Amino acid sequence: MSAVAEIPPDVAAAPVHAKAGDAIVSVRGLTKIFKDFWGRPKAKAVDNVDFEVRRGEVFGLLGPNGSGKSTTVKMLLGLLYPTRGHIEVFGHSPRHVKTKAHIGYLPEESYLYRFLDSRETLDFFGNLFDLPPKERHTRNEQLLEMVGLNQVRTRVVGEFSKGMQRRIGLAQALINDPDLVILDEPTAGMDPIGCREVKDLILALARRGKTVILSSHLLSDVEDVCDRVVIYYGGRIHAMGTLKELLIKPDAVRITMPPLPRESMQRLLEIIRRDAASDKIQVDNPTQNLESYFLEVVRKAKEGLAETSGATSGSRVAPYLRGDAEAVPEKDKLLERLTMAAPKPVEPVRTEAPEPEINKARLESLAKAQEPAPAPLKSGPAPAPAPTPADLKKADEKLSSLLGRPPGK
Amino acid sequence: MNKILTIAGLTWKSAFRYRLFWVVAVLLVASVVALPLVLVDDGTAKGLTQILLTYTLTAVASLLGFVTLWLSCGTLAKDVEECQMQVVSVKPIARWQIWIGKWLGLLSLNAALLALSGAAIFALLQWRANRLPADQQEILRKEIFVARAATRNPPQDFTPEVDQIIKDRVKNYATLPENDQYEIRQQITGGLKAELTEVGPGYRRRWGVDLHTLRDRLRDQPLVLRVKFHTANPNPDAQYNTVWIIGPTNSPAQAVLPEKLPPDSFQEITVPPNMLDESGMLWVDVYNPEDTALTFPLDDGFVLLYPESTFGINFVRGIAVIFCWLALLASIGLAAASYLSFPVAAFASLAVLLMGLSSGTVGTVVENGTIMGFDSAKSAFGHTPSDYIIVPLFKGALKVINLVENFSPIDSLSSGRSITWGELGLAVAQIVLLLGGFFCVLGIIFFQRRELATAQGTS
Repeated sequence: MSAVAEIPPDVAAAPVHAKAGDAIVSVRGLTKIFKDFWGRPKAKAVDNVDFEVRRGEVFGLLGPNGSGKSTTVKMLLGLLYPTRGHIEVFGHSPRHVKTKAHIGYLPEESYLYRFLDSRETLDFFGNLFDLPPKERHTRNEQLLEMVGLNQVRTRVVGEFSKGMQRRIGLAQALINDPDLVILDEPTAGMDPIGCREVKDLILALARRGKTVILSSHLLSDVEDVCDRVVIYYGGRIHAMGTLKELLIKPDAVRITMPPLPRESMQRLLEIIRRDAASDKIQVDNPTQNLESYFLEVVRKAKEGLAETSGATSGSRVAPYLRGDAEAVPEKDKLLERLTMAAPKPVEPVRTEAPEPEINKARLESLAKAQEPAPAPLKSGPAPAPAPTPADLKKADEKLSSLLGRPPGK
Repeated sequence: MNKILTIAGLTWKSAFRYRLFWVVAVLLVASVVALPLVLVDDGTAKGLTQILLTYTLTAVASLLGFVTLWLSCGTLAKDVEECQMQVVSVKPIARWQIWIGKWLGLLSLNAALLALSGAAIFALLQWRANRLPADQQEILRKEIFVARAATRNPPQDFTPEVDQIIKDRVKNYATLPENDQYEIRQQITGGLKAELTEVGPGYRRRWGVDLHTLRDRLRDQPLVLRVKFHTANPNPDAQYNTVWIIGPTNSPAQAVLPEKLPPDSFQEITVPPNMLDESGMLWVDVYNPEDTALTFPLDDGFVLLYPESTFGINFVRGIAVIFCWLALLASIGLAAASYLSFPVAAFASLAVLLMGLSSGTVGTVVENGTIMGFDSAKSAFGHTPSDYIIVPLFKGALKVINLVENFSPIDSLSSGRSITWGELGLAVAQIVLLLGGFFCVLGIIFFQRRELATAQGTS
């Protein structure tokens, strides 16, 4: 029996009739005006916002500080009441108590009881979902292992670092195996490993058909995991769509391939230069991003040691969160080594070099294209511009002086 | 129910983790044990009772009352201010369940602390009682370590008689100034009361107490008269001869008890068993052979006491009434915290508590019909326009306060008066269900309507 099957019917039931693509969250004309003591308008935090979040998607609320993201999230959760407009979550008001059984929420800060330890915290919230004791215990253990706090389970939350508090906060948000997970700045205060774990977890949840709403001002978080985003500014939505729609540059093409002999490279560039101006062509070595590099270093360090009094790297995603599809056939396999870069189905820009085979046909078709070849998409560090003859001469002189030889010898 | 208990359990965990429980428990036990050591009694049963029961129970009730108010304001208001409530209220738990859970948590905490300090008081009382002289132990056993129910003549409303007298004797009453009307009414009422309370030299006064419902229970049981009178003689050491004639009229079984009694203090006279007449009435006459008048106050000048239960059970019921007060305070604190921030809620709750404690002042304002004092130059009470608002408000407040203050478990225990199950039931109904329920409903409505995410985290 799966974990979800054991929880009470009123907890496990309601929104699961929703099919993929159904609107889980529907927001229409949402406006929130904060008022002062006398009822006079003080600030318009959200202004006539409309959007829908569909089942199974990772939906990003993006915007600078104070743009209305968190206010929107809090209205979705029934913590704030709209001044105008309409919100439906699983077809009900956000304040409908039974609907809340299907929602997991991680607030922007760890608003947990400081006198409870990790295990008690999860047990407390598990109780609020009426989880049976055995199920609660199982989930607590799995979640503590997943967020890397199983070694500090008896330390009270008040003693935790901010990152550790985020981890236990994340665990409590998932105790009910929610269908809708609302994460407000989930990676705030986390170390790079934790950030990566959270992002991988979001993707794992999305693969199980869970809906995730992610509010963040960290662009990389949103870019790495979100299918669709809205961009807030001043309480209004200024852009909305899939990342592909919003980010693609249709007038540029990037080719990644193994290093070629100098002659082949020259020939290739010659071909490209026939159709594209030199200043539109960039050639560089792709670089690994710092997150991937950092994770690799830590992974190697972990292989050789060592005890820590803080959070350990999270282990696999809690089995009850992985669902049957992953849990049954590969029961004993570590499905998600969270310290490793997990394969991502939705990753708009790859910065780590996967070194694909050269598709000659594609290359030729590109070379034969009538239109001038566009510049490559920018990602990671900007490529250095091609050296000019003057630069080369200057470098040659510098090298010669270092070697104690005259230039050109 | 599981969710409510989970929230209640959180209050307990918080109290233990922040060491509040142990600090309060130590304070309570210290006050129970240390106070009688500091305040040495005079070696009499009454002195011991005064210190052990009155002082310690008052100290316990006061300390727990303030702790309850403080905790009840803090547990909810701080959860909102420090934003923990944002995480709790997005779980599938209704806000009323959170509120009730908090309330039950506080009540159970109070119950434990009250039981602890009550047990300490009871044990100490028994231990100290055994060290008293034999005669004082006897007094203690007969007068204090008992649970005697009291019956007395019901309070009398003199208004119709006063109205009738005014109608018969005072012409143009309606056209008289308000102060004169007030003075006339006071004088006539005083005269009527004097007729009932005064026993002049050579006169006798009769009381009849209907005990027909208790006849079987009181068979062969001695009863006790508790009497108090005043005289015009200012000498506190003076004593007065009285003759008490108890029993059915003109019956050979009638008892005649001469007693020499001091004024201005409660005195007990034992009534022999089986003195009721055929209809279950107990007739008591007092004859005044002295040459000065004796005045028996209407409210507590004459009270008949009869055994109702044991002291242990009575003590538990007394503690239960104090618990009802604490339950009400918890409701008031939580109701305030449902809408207000912690310091404001604490201030508002304390204001309510102080208003309750100053019922005497409130009562005086209501009785005088003004908040102004007596102007001796004009021989009348002053008036201000604010009286039109304040006096009706105070009238309402007094009615509410009386619902709570009609119960005085500490006085009852220290005087051996029984707190009956009926009284306890009434206390639960009036204090917990009616008043506590009112504040519960008010608090839940406030909490239900409150936006919980307007506060920024302060943790």
